[in-house]
Amino acid sequence: MSRIGSWLILSFKLHRWEVLAAAAGVAILSAAMLWFTWQLRALSATDPGCVDPAAYAPGCSQLGQRFYELSSKAELLSYLSWLSPFVMGLVLGVPLVSREIEHRTAGLAWTLSRSRTWWLARRAAFLVLVLVVLLLVVAIVGEVLAFPQMPAQHLDRDFAWYGRRGGLIVVRGLAALGLGILVGAWLGRVLPALLVAIFASVLIFSGISLGMDRWMEGHAIVQAFDADRAGGRQLGERILLPSGELIDYGELQRRGLAYEVIQDDRLWARPEDIGHMDRLIGYDRYLVVPGSLYSQIVLDESAVVGGTTVLLALAAAAFVRRRRPG
Amino acid sequence: MSTEPILEAHDLAKRYGRRTWALTGIDLAIPQGGITALVGPNAAGKSTLIKTWVGFERPTRGNVTVAGIDPQKDRSSVLGLVGYVPQSPSLYDGLSIEDHLDLAVLLRPEFDRAYALRRLDQLGIPAGQGAKSLSGGQQAQVALALALGTRASILLLDEPLASLDPLARREFLHVLTDAVRSEGATALLSSHIVTDVEQACDRLVVLGVGKILLHDTVSDALATHWLATEGAATPAGAAIGSFGGPSGERLTLVRQPASSVGPDLRPASLEEVVLGYLASGRVVPGEAAA
Repeated sequence: MSRIGSWLILSFKLHRWEVLAAAAGVAILSAAMLWFTWQLRALSATDPGCVDPAAYAPGCSQLGQRFYELSSKAELLSYLSWLSPFVMGLVLGVPLVSREIEHRTAGLAWTLSRSRTWWLARRAAFLVLVLVVLLLVVAIVGEVLAFPQMPAQHLDRDFAWYGRRGGLIVVRGLAALGLGILVGAWLGRVLPALLVAIFASVLIFSGISLGMDRWMEGHAIVQAFDADRAGGRQLGERILLPSGELIDYGELQRRGLAYEVIQDDRLWARPEDIGHMDRLIGYDRYLVVPGSLYSQIVLDESAVVGGTTVLLALAAAAFVRRRRPG
Repeated sequence: MSTEPILEAHDLAKRYGRRTWALTGIDLAIPQGGITALVGPNAAGKSTLIKTWVGFERPTRGNVTVAGIDPQKDRSSVLGLVGYVPQSPSLYDGLSIEDHLDLAVLLRPEFDRAYALRRLDQLGIPAGQGAKSLSGGQQAQVALALALGTRASILLLDEPLASLDPLARREFLHVLTDAVRSEGATALLSSHIVTDVEQACDRLVVLGVGKILLHDTVSDALATHWLATEGAATPAGAAIGSFGGPSGERLTLVRQPASSVGPDLRPASLEEVVLGYLASGRVVPGEAAA
């Protein structure tokens, strides 16, 4: 057998339960998502006018209701595809080193292999391969389901289901894998490492998400509250002061600009101020990243998460090089 | 057998945590060739010493070398020279023996799969059998075959006999001595079972509470150590340590050339030599370790 064949078979045998669990999870999730895709498409084909919320045709109530129900369930499934990279990355990554230490096989492997970095690279490469293949399926099926679920939207220019479809799922999975390997190498026991890695992944990915939101503010536009935000990503509400300054509600409070009344998009301190433009506190506005920037933002976040993955992988390699085998 | 040292430790000390000293300043040079037994009680530091040579432990003070190479500076080169058998056989539960050999080839391309397989064949251990279903003795034999298959010139065996029954221990030692003699390798075998290593080993290192108490050839150790029973005259300065005999009598180990041994002394067995030295190195409560 070729070296690659031997590597694939042995790597599978060493990780069979995690790989089989991940593959089964992806198969069930994908099958469910494809079933909803098929159902939603069938409804759309029956009467396309009934599934476009912007143009409900008369006599559509039953079909529209059915579409709405299916669409809501499909949306719930999309949250599972959002969760899948974190779950799969950690489930595959954590045991790689920690189980070797827990079961005392690291001593055998680390003396047979002259370089622990190479040992880790070879083992991790298999998991990367498995993870990329499985998460690509989730990413593609997510895209496939999103189209009939949102038939009126141009999803290549739309933040709808952000992180629940497309390549970001794969990139996030690789970061979770790196984190799992690092924490596993650090703690050397599977279950404690899994718990710590879950906690660490919440911190890291929340941090990345908050950082991305702050960074995206630079790309955002200010929109009136009743403007069409189709495809855009709403970052939050802001107050446009008569001076032209844009502030958030926290800053408004800090400045002592209390308001009692919002009339249309206008903020007034008291009801009697309404109509007196010289007493206007400001206008309620939304900060929105236009849908046209969707691909660019996905690429930017992928670069940030990818960079984090590289750092986690380097840290894991450094840790394994110095680690006692247990 | 060459007298050139192949495994060396210089002022080696190893501390775990803030207070626990496993080794307290060891100077040791093990010559090339043959089998050296590293004997000592539990927690004497045997595993720590072996793991330091493999590069698994970092010395707190001093250094070690393997064929002149410091494993902390060039672990890769050291691992190329060393075959290691860990304390518990530690095989992969989900793999067969054949898989273990394939894994070894993958991790170390020069691994001699055929040689390892032949060794296992001779013992009647089927290659297709799962590691999980092997007995303790068979698992130890597989671990030894994996170490031998590296064709390393130095074998470091960290208490592989500890969990084996007498027959399995004998078989293991037979395979080890056969391999070492036929390949001209050097083996260091740590154990606390002295009777087993007596037949297999050429040299003896007694390690007690983190320090070397004796380092000699087995033949010299047997030729120069004697036992004195309670009340017998022992030459001044020759007594090593006293310990209880099988009937409760007090025995004292004496080091003395055979030419000057009095009638009150009888030859000590290797186990008695080890016991005498371990008694001499016993820690007095409250004494600082390092």
